[in-house]
Amino acid sequence: MRVVAVAVNTFRETIRDRILGVILLFALAMIVASLWLASISLGQEDRMIKDFGLLAISVFGLIVAAFVAANLVRKEVEKRTVFIIFSKPVSRSEFIWGKFLGLAATMLAVLAGMTVFLFALAWFVDKSPSGSLLVAGLLIYLQLLVVMAVTMLFATMTSAILASVWGICVYVAGQLSHNVLSMAHAGHAGSAHVMSALVFYVVPNLSAVDIRAAVVGEGAVARSSLLGWGVYLIAYLVVALLIATAIFRRKEF
Amino acid sequence: MRRARAIAAAAVLVVCVGVIVAYQATRPAVAAPNPVVFVPSPSFYRNFSPSARASVADVYWLYAIQYYGEHLNSDRRLDSLPALIRLVTTLSPHFKEAYFFGSFSMLDVGRPDVAYALLQQGFKANPGDWRFPFYLGFFAYTFATGAHKDAVAAQWYEKAARLPGVPPFVSRLAAEMATKGNERQTAVDLWTQVYVQGDKYAQQKAVTALDALLPKDKIAREKAVAGLEASVPRAMFAQFVADLFKGYQ
Amino acid sequence: MNIADHRDSTFSVLEVRDLHKTVAVGFRRRKVEILKGVDLEVRDGDVFGLLGPNGAGKTTTLKVVLGLMRPTSGSVTLGVDGLAELGYLPENPYFYDYLTGSEFLRFCARLFSLGARERDARVSAILADVGLEGAAGVQLRKYSKGMLQRIGIAQALINEPRFVLLDEPMTGLDPIGRVEVKEIIQRLHERGTTVLFNSHILADVAALCTRIAIMRAGRVVWQGAVDEALAATPGADLEGFFMDVVRS
Repeated sequence: MRVVAVAVNTFRETIRDRILGVILLFALAMIVASLWLASISLGQEDRMIKDFGLLAISVFGLIVAAFVAANLVRKEVEKRTVFIIFSKPVSRSEFIWGKFLGLAATMLAVLAGMTVFLFALAWFVDKSPSGSLLVAGLLIYLQLLVVMAVTMLFATMTSAILASVWGICVYVAGQLSHNVLSMAHAGHAGSAHVMSALVFYVVPNLSAVDIRAAVVGEGAVARSSLLGWGVYLIAYLVVALLIATAIFRRKEF
Repeated sequence: MRRARAIAAAAVLVVCVGVIVAYQATRPAVAAPNPVVFVPSPSFYRNFSPSARASVADVYWLYAIQYYGEHLNSDRRLDSLPALIRLVTTLSPHFKEAYFFGSFSMLDVGRPDVAYALLQQGFKANPGDWRFPFYLGFFAYTFATGAHKDAVAAQWYEKAARLPGVPPFVSRLAAEMATKGNERQTAVDLWTQVYVQGDKYAQQKAVTALDALLPKDKIAREKAVAGLEASVPRAMFAQFVADLFKGYQ
Repeated sequence: MNIADHRDSTFSVLEVRDLHKTVAVGFRRRKVEILKGVDLEVRDGDVFGLLGPNGAGKTTTLKVVLGLMRPTSGSVTLGVDGLAELGYLPENPYFYDYLTGSEFLRFCARLFSLGARERDARVSAILADVGLEGAAGVQLRKYSKGMLQRIGIAQALINEPRFVLLDEPMTGLDPIGRVEVKEIIQRLHERGTTVLFNSHILADVAALCTRIAIMRAGRVVWQGAVDEALAATPGADLEGFFMDVVRS
């Protein structure tokens, strides 16, 4: 269970990192700030807190996913802790998967903390619990797992900062996936159609389910579409990590 | 030497903090408002995901409220408010309160026709909410001109009466419209419901309208308001009475 | 029974034959040959010193042996059961800032799939061996240079390896630290563990090593017993011998 050993080690190291604590504090401050926004919203406190609270969770979760995931691999290479790891009977794939699982556990702790805090805040303001917020938190977590996997993939090939930037770009592009689909179906000729289709399949579809829109009442989300999307995201991150492992196997230190 | 440097650093710090505080304290309390502001077209955001559009709508909602409050207290010009509300409701078609706020705020600039059109747009997007046909009936009855306004209002109230969750008074209003009953009483009933259902701005308008419709004599007014008790939720009634008897001993 | 009694000086723990390593450097991926045919043999029970000026290819050779780099050509044969019986301390090691000493060693032990009880026993023993029992609960970011070097040695020995590779183990240590590391290497030798280490401190090499190899410009230019080297120079001075070989 070397994967578990690497995962536990990664979890310990990242959860104790003060940068994470600072990011979490800012996220909680932003959620509380949404209370102030809610107070000037003419009776729409419930909607404002949920919408801006989930936005804060997404943004800060994205910062953690992109920057921490990128550093996870690069830092080990740059600081040469990989020499210590790979001088022991640990395979490259065990290392990558262990790192990912450890960070996934960290991200779960961070996101769960923020989501529960937001849930309690919304309950306090609205005087009734909003289960959809907890579901939204879980879906944001799945999105960010994909961003983490993609960022780790880039980190096996390039510097930490570039990998982080790419990770954020993939998140933004993933939010526009439905537009790419429209372009692919718009009847453009030849290469434009092929390019659109290629981009549509390669970039993760992070907008298939509109989490925040559903929470603030702009449409409902069917359970079956949630399940399908969840399976899609998990398959996507598995592919990203398999490619990352294949690249990492070829790396020399 | 070190002590002297520490004192000098502290002195510089105090002076700079003083400059910061003094500068901020002398900023004008209210910026000179420009009633015409840039409002992007909703089509600018058409490629955003629904979640992102909802968040943008919320930002513009907050902006619209600030804009309204700022100009209502100064030049009373709301030139850009229709565009702001249109942007919010196009980006977030189920944001019902935006339609209601927008329509009543149009009364402040004497544009009930814009309010009416906004409510129609809202009803199209939210056909299951009884409040839209209710307010449409209210606007038709109160602000429309022409021989058919009562009939139009009655049709809206009948539509509202058929929707789920509608309070019983709406059916009564529909009946009143149909029988062309006491117009003053109908108007009082309508404005009372605007007070009950609306936000604080709508309530202010309702109080102004009711003040004009209700008897000026204190005892007569008390009798008239007592008759409305059944239409106003118990938790609101005390405030309702206080608002209508401001200035009375 | 001392395991050292079962050392077989004819058995090779490490055999490197005609090892070449070429890397691509820079924007234009210019090919640079770092190892130009390294031949090396480390026998069971040796304390083997790998010497050479900076850039000779010592660290690269170790990395190829450990599988951190792939050889361009040539062969590396390990007479132990792969990485499970190896221990390695890199040069200027860096560890995980927020783990404590014992957490880090437990993590290393888990990588060898040791059971929980065995892990705990090994960690306690090795911390005592390297004199860090008192700092076991302190985060590594608070360790001094000497303490980091000792925890590095501890992680290299956590699996009780048959073959230990130490890259510049004495770098940056104060005299007390150097003596402590030398004592650890001597104890390993007494236990029958084969040790290979790089070092620039020739006095330590002369005191500790049984055999040495001298590298220059990607090749081994001399290999043999320390006594042989000392006998070849007037005044039995390893530094003089080293300079003669490297400059010739």
